[in-house]
Amino acid sequence: MDVHSRDYAARARAILRDEPHVREAVIGATVAFDQHRERAYGEVDSDAWRAWASDVKSHALTNLADYLEEAESRLTENGVVVHWAETAADVHSVLEAVAADHGVRKVVKGKSMLSEELGVNDALERQGIEVVETDLGEYVIQLFGEPPSHIVGPAIHRSLEDIQELFHRVHGTPPHATPEDLAAAARVALREAFLTADMGITGGNFLVAETGTLALIENEGNIRLATSAPKVHVALVGIEKVIARWSDLAGMLQLTSRAATGQAVGTFVSMIHGPRRDGEPDGPEAVHVILVDNGRTGMLADEATWEALKCVRCGACLNVCPVYRQTGGHAYGWVYSGPIGAVLAPALLGLDEGGALPFASTLCGACTEVCPVRIPLHDMLLTWRRRTVEAGKAPATEGLLLSAYAAAAKRPALFRLGAAGLQLLPMAVTRRLPFLKSWLAVHGDLPWSKPSFLRRWKAGPK
Amino acid sequence: MRDRILARVRSALADREVVAHPGAFPGPLHAGPVIEAFTDRFRAVGGEVERFAGMDEALDWLEGFASAFAGVAAGADVPAELATKLPTVPARDAPLGVSMARYAAADTGSLVLDSKGGRLPQLLPPTHLVWVRADAVMATLDEALEAGRGDLPAVLALHSGPSRSADIGRVIVTGVHGPGRVVVGIVD
Repeated sequence: MDVHSRDYAARARAILRDEPHVREAVIGATVAFDQHRERAYGEVDSDAWRAWASDVKSHALTNLADYLEEAESRLTENGVVVHWAETAADVHSVLEAVAADHGVRKVVKGKSMLSEELGVNDALERQGIEVVETDLGEYVIQLFGEPPSHIVGPAIHRSLEDIQELFHRVHGTPPHATPEDLAAAARVALREAFLTADMGITGGNFLVAETGTLALIENEGNIRLATSAPKVHVALVGIEKVIARWSDLAGMLQLTSRAATGQAVGTFVSMIHGPRRDGEPDGPEAVHVILVDNGRTGMLADEATWEALKCVRCGACLNVCPVYRQTGGHAYGWVYSGPIGAVLAPALLGLDEGGALPFASTLCGACTEVCPVRIPLHDMLLTWRRRTVEAGKAPATEGLLLSAYAAAAKRPALFRLGAAGLQLLPMAVTRRLPFLKSWLAVHGDLPWSKPSFLRRWKAGPK
Repeated sequence: MRDRILARVRSALADREVVAHPGAFPGPLHAGPVIEAFTDRFRAVGGEVERFAGMDEALDWLEGFASAFAGVAAGADVPAELATKLPTVPARDAPLGVSMARYAAADTGSLVLDSKGGRLPQLLPPTHLVWVRADAVMATLDEALEAGRGDLPAVLALHSGPSRSADIGRVIVTGVHGPGRVVVGIVD
């Protein structure tokens, strides 16, 4: 995919200035997601669940080579063809070969962030293959010609009015059609695609080493259909998706669902063990799993940030992030946005391209608070900021600010004094402080509240 | 390629402390009578649940229920005694799909379906009737998956209510791709 992460500040400014409705739509969606998560965490012993899930992932990652080999053996025994890919280009080659073998002309896709990371759609289309996104949100943004703006809700930046207008143009639905009518129009178009496609492409939420199970969570049924109706299924799976045991699955499915949408479990879960078997009436004749590195082994070697590989892509850290909420995901210029995107970007894209994103944060720590696998996201953001500054790749003002922040943060009294001092300065002065200028350019003069954000945050919701 | 990736993984982990497996999932909720708990959970997400004391009661109900449909696509694993009198049609044209669940899980309100009887009757018809035996309803998803471990088919699937999406205007719409109406028949 095209990457524009180095332009974060300019993109964020442009969205805030030119597309104010995006902020409104994103805040509405993320606040709702987060409320659902909070309720769902409250229904269970979420601290115990999260400590357990963190260890399930860390255990698999600290034994990753063995579990990858075990997964490969079980998958192969299950009749799955396993491929390994170091780069996006390797993935494209595998897809090209599999598509050619099976005479594939049309592909139906389930939502997969990894496929966005790898630019799979463009690669297939260059081969003359038609690619149809089937998750309703993904279908909408494919029609708009946009990338997803959120891990779980790819089209949350789009309002009902935007989609009414789009479907009126594309499907001839009435200009003020209800969400039900719009979904029905999409269902008709996509049902046809499912029944005529030759290949389904999905990601994978978990890959169980012990049984070779590929597990996929969804709500619409489009992934079940994409893995059942076409004659070939190809799953793109990051190597970090491996978990050790079948008995890990029930807990991981539930916690991921609660963190993502507040559901006890996603409406549909597919646990796949290979192609259609003898005596089964339907199902694909071939299943391929592509195990993808694309920078992940490099992350694994990094003592300070390897734990970000525990991420289950629930989106909880995006939903709670005060910076993400202002712009949505497109400002980040890359497939992964919000706090997890800002941690992955410098690791997977390098400091030149990804170094700007860790500065898109208030370091409030809300992301770390909600993470279902307890990734210390705000610590990692600080690590990447320091590395970016040390490499001389951060804007000068950011570097100065960070040094001052770090010095002050080590001395709480000084930190409080500084914060209080900033609050006492008249706006006319603060507006001249270089590091506040860009922020104020989009936010305008705002009154400073008396208790600090962090203190209010710790006091909890009103 | 494979060997290079695995070598890089091993080298990355050379000095990393191994994290022990945490053991069993601490989560399962035990919420009183199992069938009632399943029923509450499944209805809360928009599903329908019918409970029958025996096969005769189930068949009486089925006759009335089926009369609203013009044809059926049934999974090959649905017991012959639970067959409807409706004409069989391909799943893509059928207004009603019928399946047999291997298990159900009360804490998540999930039906555990199997690919052996066919997947498309579970997915394509707008209404899906799923039979499950009362003694196959487990307290937790953990237990249901553990029970399934010995015989993992090409696909083991969880269906936990009607197909839904909130991708358009944050309004929950049902029946987007999979069935918009799911009816569970629990037979003692």
